[in-house]
Amino acid sequence: MSESSKPGLFARGWRALRQPRAALSLLGMFALFFAGIIFWGGFNTAMEATNTLEFCTGCHEMQSTVFQEYKTTIHYANRTGVRAICSDCHVPKDWVHKMARKIQASGEVYGKIMGVIDTKEKFEAKRYELAKRAWTRMVTTDSIECRNCHHLDSMSPEVQTEKAQRRHAKAKKEGLTCVECHFGIAHKEPAGDETPSDLKRRLMAKP
Amino acid sequence: MKSKQIAIVLSGLLAFSATTAMAQVDEADAMKLLDSSKCLKCHSVDKKKDGPSYKEVAAKYKGKADAVAKLTKHVTEPSKVKVDGEEEDHGTVKTRDQEKVKNLVNFILTR
Repeated sequence: MSESSKPGLFARGWRALRQPRAALSLLGMFALFFAGIIFWGGFNTAMEATNTLEFCTGCHEMQSTVFQEYKTTIHYANRTGVRAICSDCHVPKDWVHKMARKIQASGEVYGKIMGVIDTKEKFEAKRYELAKRAWTRMVTTDSIECRNCHHLDSMSPEVQTEKAQRRHAKAKKEGLTCVECHFGIAHKEPAGDETPSDLKRRLMAKP
Repeated sequence: MKSKQIAIVLSGLLAFSATTAMAQVDEADAMKLLDSSKCLKCHSVDKKKDGPSYKEVAAKYKGKADAVAKLTKHVTEPSKVKVDGEEEDHGTVKTRDQEKVKNLVNFILTR
């Protein structure tokens, strides 16, 4: 056996771990770790609660306008019973963009407090501007919210009408994004000159 | 007979109102018919989609004497239209109610 005055690394480490204060520190770390998990779960639950239909339609501004329009459309009720709710189309699914959108949404809380669209008339006056915001988000993300569920490559052409087949082939060929044709489908199309295609052209135009 | 007089007055009023139909477009009814007949899949009131906007259609037919007749025929009888260089079937309005069709045609022509 070697004549070392100091014990080896392992021996020293093991001795340190066997101290009472080490056990307490480790316990504390584990406790914090699990508390962190609980906190994260709570935070996420609260976040997802703001993505429910009930939450979004809690404001009468939404309840009496866009919600009523959406209820008459295919994204609300259809043959297969697959429903897309507000957050499916208006809130990104990936965490980073979802958080960014939620922070942006504090502007909506401010708008609610200030009553920016709290009457039907005020809402109709702003409808086009609000629609353009949603269209802008879609054209700049290649309609990510549509593509969360719909994929051009997952479409069975044989169960589509000839017209639909032609249009989707054109979309593929010309690199069109979903919303360029499929706008005003869940809510009333606003009166106004610009279409999502116009917005896309304007936003992607080379300076 | 009193009911006969009432009938005459009413039909007179109806005839009068029919001549002023142009000025009384029921926009909500027209939009509902456009939606249920799936016209809005290719047309918008003010935006170009696969088909021309109704604003464009109104401008095209402006001042033409046979505008109502031509447009009525276009929306009630099957025809072909060119989209992206290919010929496609143009849809027809889904109603047998001639008053609704007339209202719709007037709606389009007054955009």
